[in-house]
Amino acid sequence: MAFEVTQCGDRSMSEDIESILGVDWDIPKKPYPPKTILLPTGERMVVREAAREEVPKLLQAITPLLTVSRDFYDIVAARQYAELLGWYRRRVRNEFCLIGIVDGKLAGIVNSRAYDQKTHVSYHTTALKRGARVGAHLFAAKHEHSMETLGAEEILVTAESPIGFRRWIVEWGLQVRTGVQHELGGAKSWVITRDIYQKVKPRLVMGSRPVPDDVLKKAATFENAPLDWVSQQ
Amino acid sequence: MTKFGRHDDKTLLSLMTESSIKALEDAGASDRNIDAVYAASMLAGELNHQVAVGSALVDQLALIPAAAERVENGPASGGSAVKNAYCAIACGLYDTVLVTGGEKMRHVPGEVITDYIATMTNIEAEYVHGVTLPSLAGMLARLYMEKYGVTEEDLARVAVKNHLNGSKNPYAHIQQPVTLEGIYGSPEAEVNNPIISDPIRMYHCCPVTDGAASVLLAATEKAKEFTDTPIRIAGVGQATDRMAVQDRKDPAVLEALRVSAAQAFKMSKRTPRDMSFAELHDAFTILEIVESEDAGFFEKGTGHKALRDGVTALDGKFPINPSGGLKARGHPVGATGVAQIVEMTWQLRGEADKRQVENAQRAFSCNLGGFANNIVAFVLERS
Amino acid sequence: MAENRFVGFKCKKCGAVAYPKRFLCPSCKGKDFEEYPLGNEGKIVTFTKLWTVPEGIEQLPLTLAIVEFDGKVRVTGQVLSEEIKIGDRVRPVWGHIRKIRGKDIEGFRFERLA
Repeated sequence: MAFEVTQCGDRSMSEDIESILGVDWDIPKKPYPPKTILLPTGERMVVREAAREEVPKLLQAITPLLTVSRDFYDIVAARQYAELLGWYRRRVRNEFCLIGIVDGKLAGIVNSRAYDQKTHVSYHTTALKRGARVGAHLFAAKHEHSMETLGAEEILVTAESPIGFRRWIVEWGLQVRTGVQHELGGAKSWVITRDIYQKVKPRLVMGSRPVPDDVLKKAATFENAPLDWVSQQ
Repeated sequence: MTKFGRHDDKTLLSLMTESSIKALEDAGASDRNIDAVYAASMLAGELNHQVAVGSALVDQLALIPAAAERVENGPASGGSAVKNAYCAIACGLYDTVLVTGGEKMRHVPGEVITDYIATMTNIEAEYVHGVTLPSLAGMLARLYMEKYGVTEEDLARVAVKNHLNGSKNPYAHIQQPVTLEGIYGSPEAEVNNPIISDPIRMYHCCPVTDGAASVLLAATEKAKEFTDTPIRIAGVGQATDRMAVQDRKDPAVLEALRVSAAQAFKMSKRTPRDMSFAELHDAFTILEIVESEDAGFFEKGTGHKALRDGVTALDGKFPINPSGGLKARGHPVGATGVAQIVEMTWQLRGEADKRQVENAQRAFSCNLGGFANNIVAFVLERS
Repeated sequence: MAENRFVGFKCKKCGAVAYPKRFLCPSCKGKDFEEYPLGNEGKIVTFTKLWTVPEGIEQLPLTLAIVEFDGKVRVTGQVLSEEIKIGDRVRPVWGHIRKIRGKDIEGFRFERLA
């Protein structure tokens, strides 16, 4: 499936209409301080914020997963694809995306958006490098960004797959927030409050800062993950 | 054997057929009639909706009217199938027997697998209380830490060693090395290596794997018809222990291993000291340490010291699990016992390539059914 | 498992005590047993805290232990107390253990003695 997005926005639309339809950040925006994380394999993963310009490359990385029904990869990929593309085309408000890079290759993508200053909505976690706990670390990183950098008070989380449910919701000890439908199809919402975040932080949120300059420079670009990473295990 | 790993596009029967054909080709026996086919699988009925796997396999291999049956002894199904094949030939009933062990389990959710496997504990005394195999491993590890000073670092060391060996084994499920720092000691280790049943963590447990392994057994006088380098089954042993861990004489001793290993050594007229290496059943890394002692290679309570000293590394004085063990090679339950024999055969023939044990002459294996309450042991040697 | 007396089964022939109930004495294959009260105090032989619990069990983590009674019999069961170590003394408590396929199961669990 070939897809080309060559520029941000669509110049064929008048500036007036774009200002009506387009959305961007309407709460204070602060950059995520990058960090490195030691994986079980001994490799170090750089976790940094992705720039809007990198979205086309991220979409390329997700595309092969659109047809993998195992472990609900297909719906996670389809939804994350739409979210990232929506951010790129300025049709999603307050969205951010963090990526993990291992040995110059894209290892994982996580994204969320801020509904408002207080409440964030966790979107998706895609681990391209499997069997190395990449997903667990990146999931924690995006909540670290919401809570610590952007000052959220709570984050609404949901899961499509049983593995996602067990790993995120059970492992973090989350409770359901009744009466609130999650943006992702109106599914149940579980909540990460400030209290829960502080409680699990020592056990689940990892990393070393600052990232050495040469390492950060190398992680400024990345290759897409080899396809056999995903099929592993 | 097939590569161990995830085989979504194959069935249990196709994996076992593929592996069987490879073994027959290796023996130059593709056109020959074989007297019997023993198929080992623990969960074929439950997970793959297929019973009577032996009958299915003999048909797929175009070997009818050969005798055929399925052998089931929990995770020692493979070992038991090899033992039964040995006996059938030794008593003169058959000259050749093909043994294939296989399991296809990755398509099933983890909790379902864990539950099926838990049913091999004592249902009334253990299972009903919520006991699963990881919890038994946790209790054994806790006891060993208290009694002998084994540490969590030791549990991690076994994993590091076996992953390194696995990275040299093209058939292994997991070929990715792990570092000690990555799974123990670093702050990240808490996320990288989460607790399953304290003190047993994720990287102390073998993976769930699809795969099949096969061996062709032949009467000694016929063996040279198939290969110039037949490997001899010199010793066989099997013993049981009380099923529930609570009922064992000493819960820290694998009595069934002591008895079955002694039988195998006695029959082969060898001692543990004569072995070049061993393939042990490391479903949990604590088991490798305990088995290395109760099989007779190290004094009770010192297995972890040998591990720390590098004695059991691939380049050490006495390599354990050069294949990567269950930890890295993977554990398609019914296939494991046969895969151990395959590995020993390749090693003793000098065909183990990057993971070759130097000057391999004789080897020992043990295959556990249940949590060490039923063990099949072998001693193999170059003819 | 409707019995809520904490008893083992002593072989009338050789005196060995078995738990739970069974057909044949594991020591001498004898067939006749008499009830043998296991008392109110056992010692923890070993334990673990299980984080991946089976379906139908609510506690997370689930603490399991092997407990020795009277130097004669060991019993496996859930532990109600949070902090335990090898050697601790516990007493048996009858109650709800778990559900299996929706059915409530009762049995003995262990509670640490002060």
